[in-house]
Amino acid sequence: MIAPRYLIWPLLTLTIVSLVCVIAAVTQGSVALSLEQLWQAFQGQGSLLNQTLVWELRVPRVLAAFATGGLLAVAGALMQILLRNPLADPYVLGISGGASVAALLAILAGITGVFLSGAAFIGAVLSTLLVFGLAQGVGRASPMRLLLTGVVIAAGWGACITLMLALAPPQKIPGMLFWLMGDLSYAHTPWLAWLVLVPICFVLMPLGRSLNVLARGPMQAAALGVNVKQLERLVFVIASLLTAVAVTTAGSIGFVGLVVPHMLRLVLGNDQRLILPACALAGGTLVTLADTLARTVIAPEQLPVGVITALLGVPTFLFLLRRGRV
Amino acid sequence: MTLSTHSLVLDIPLREPHPLELAIESGQMWGILGPNGVGKTTLLHTLAGLVTPRSGSVSLAHKPLSDWHRLSLAQQVGVMFQEHQDGFPATVLETALLGRFPHLSPWEMETDADIAMARASLAYLELSALSERSVSQLSGGERQRTALAALLTQDPSVWLVDEPTNHLDLHHQVAVMRLLQRKAQSDKLVVMSLHDVNLAATWCSHVLLLYPDRPALMGRADKLLTLEHLQPLYQQPLVQGEIDGRLVFLPKPV
Amino acid sequence: MTSLFFLPRHLMTLLLGLLSAILIAESAWARGLCVEDDKQREVCMAQPAQRIAALSPGATELIYAAGAGEKVVAVVSFSDYPPEAKQVTSVGSHTRLDLERVVSLKPDLVLAWGTGNPSEQIATLERIGLTVYYVEPHDFEDIADNIKDMAILSGTEGAGFKAADDFLAGIQALADRYQSAAPVATFYQVWDEPLMSMNSRHYISKVVTLCGGVNVFADSPRLIPRLNQESVLIKNPEAILAGGMGERNAKWLEKWRAFPELLATQRDNLFFIPPSLIQRPTPRLLDGARIMCEKLDVARQQRG
Repeated sequence: MIAPRYLIWPLLTLTIVSLVCVIAAVTQGSVALSLEQLWQAFQGQGSLLNQTLVWELRVPRVLAAFATGGLLAVAGALMQILLRNPLADPYVLGISGGASVAALLAILAGITGVFLSGAAFIGAVLSTLLVFGLAQGVGRASPMRLLLTGVVIAAGWGACITLMLALAPPQKIPGMLFWLMGDLSYAHTPWLAWLVLVPICFVLMPLGRSLNVLARGPMQAAALGVNVKQLERLVFVIASLLTAVAVTTAGSIGFVGLVVPHMLRLVLGNDQRLILPACALAGGTLVTLADTLARTVIAPEQLPVGVITALLGVPTFLFLLRRGRV
Repeated sequence: MTLSTHSLVLDIPLREPHPLELAIESGQMWGILGPNGVGKTTLLHTLAGLVTPRSGSVSLAHKPLSDWHRLSLAQQVGVMFQEHQDGFPATVLETALLGRFPHLSPWEMETDADIAMARASLAYLELSALSERSVSQLSGGERQRTALAALLTQDPSVWLVDEPTNHLDLHHQVAVMRLLQRKAQSDKLVVMSLHDVNLAATWCSHVLLLYPDRPALMGRADKLLTLEHLQPLYQQPLVQGEIDGRLVFLPKPV
Repeated sequence: MTSLFFLPRHLMTLLLGLLSAILIAESAWARGLCVEDDKQREVCMAQPAQRIAALSPGATELIYAAGAGEKVVAVVSFSDYPPEAKQVTSVGSHTRLDLERVVSLKPDLVLAWGTGNPSEQIATLERIGLTVYYVEPHDFEDIADNIKDMAILSGTEGAGFKAADDFLAGIQALADRYQSAAPVATFYQVWDEPLMSMNSRHYISKVVTLCGGVNVFADSPRLIPRLNQESVLIKNPEAILAGGMGERNAKWLEKWRAFPELLATQRDNLFFIPPSLIQRPTPRLLDGARIMCEKLDVARQQRG
């Protein structure tokens, strides 16, 4: 976890695993494609149908799945550092709830497309500000206060969502449910997610060491020369942005932000320079696998991906916890 | 190097302000003594620039702490805290390596040299065998020494140490105090809070007596450590004796 | 500067628009296979559809009624009528389509449900280049129009137009028969838990009116109002009509027997209507309407 070679091997391994999973995900689907057919389609050869399947349906969806997973896992890892609490997660803290509420309001107002994503982002940011503002109260926000405030705010958003669903015209309900269950079958543009994920990973790289220190507590971090307030604010904005983009791409997929960073910490330790990029890769892989299962396991019926992430995540997590080194 | 305070009033609620004028020089080893809750820890944190005072200021090398860049300050001033937070798993070696943080730029990775320094610190504090162990599995004393190893790796000019001997057995108490004394002798500046007046009497060149109800006293340890000053400090009748030529204070049995 | 730049561009757009409008009109005229769907979009086919994907159970019934049943290559879950439809490949549930399967079946016409299918998924199908016809009937005319449109697009005008006309004639016959019948205050229960009915804009309410009934929740601001039992008791309907979870499941009605003060309960005017005949806007609605009209007539007879 210390010398570069300790960074390179896990990341290289994860990159290879990610690539294998992405390729496997592209081969799997309602229509079975051999690797040869896939290769032809990639080169723009083979039947037109196969090309459409690969280029219009599978590749965008797999890319969206991967990016969403990466966004959520990195956002979860950052939130955990920020709160010094391994239970923190954009969902637990009500950030994705705020994004969902804003998105639902936008749907009710008849807003679509980019503005819908924008609304979700504003919702995420407002929700985070609300949580941190309320937790601050008088004096410094303790991580426990923040977590509790987040849980309460998340419950409040849940109630707002139920209210909106009850009042919504029936024809708008299918489009609204999507935001709550987490579903990649509606995802059509993976590019926004990638445009956010990749640069943010680069931004986070030089912050890794400061985050390592921040994980030891704000006092310790300040004593070692970290500008704690500035760093916390930056991490907070980045985590909101990541969550908002993930929610606009695929609705609220739960569990990824909580479990992926945790699993990786059990195996790789807690050096953020390793954990954050590893989260992007492992989170992406988890959601890609989960979505592949979601669209194939009882095909032609399609499942929301959130169901699978939970079903995959829980046992893996428990297993690692049992034999882990905590 | 001088660490000094000017009309410093600590940010402790419900306390009548007694401004503090301190001047601590390199090579000195100061002990802060006082009853519980008098503000020993707050003073250390204020000296480190981690807590803003109610009024007054702290200067290092005649430059107010607020004018220092955080990172360059951390290269000069190291703090060992009384409480250690570990919500996340970390090994002893990783913890000792924290001390290298202020000395590296954001893009730098720790080099073999940095790791060697951390290992040397661990060896010095007899922690080598535990270096791959998770901090959360350590005993209180082992954690205390790990924190000190981090400070040793940081190698600052100013050592601000909160209760260095907490949780330590007698052997390690002596080892740790000797380490701090050696640092003072090699022209570092050492300030520690202590609850054991006898440790101060044995090891410190200077003491600062923080009274809850009157201005603090400061100066050479051999001048200030007397029954006359200590009994009101702890509001406890004491007896004084001499063992092997060393001054010893004990509470007077009721 | 801006206006100079703006004007030609504006003109250009206008010209292009005109040009394309003419071209579309021309080609549409040349082919003759153009209809307007329920989103008021023009849908054109170069030649009659050969492979049709019906993405809602209702659309499936309509396309079979239009006489193009053999051309259906894809349906969704619960497409149970006509029985032949059950043999057709399913592409998942209408809320979450297996797009790959839809695409791999190579449909040349997709019958989409505007408010039931995810708009993003239908948009994807359009982007891939499939022709989409939105089905969203709100009254008897719409149902007939849908059938005719589908018949035109599939080249089965003969069978389709006859089915549509038969349906409208049947509805007209009911209208003639009941237009002067004594009004019956009617509560139609769409769902049980939560309790739901519909307002006058809903086609089921139009069936109630057709039969000389008066929908007690006609003025409700929402299309599908959620109710509590009290609101039904206040309206005190003379007849209560309900479907149920299944074809013979009349449990929903039993709950109303607990309220003897209800006129409908006193007169035993609690009527079961097979949900498949009324809760889908398809030609079978005529059968459902006949049953409803009969039931309301029973209610009139029980006035003594």
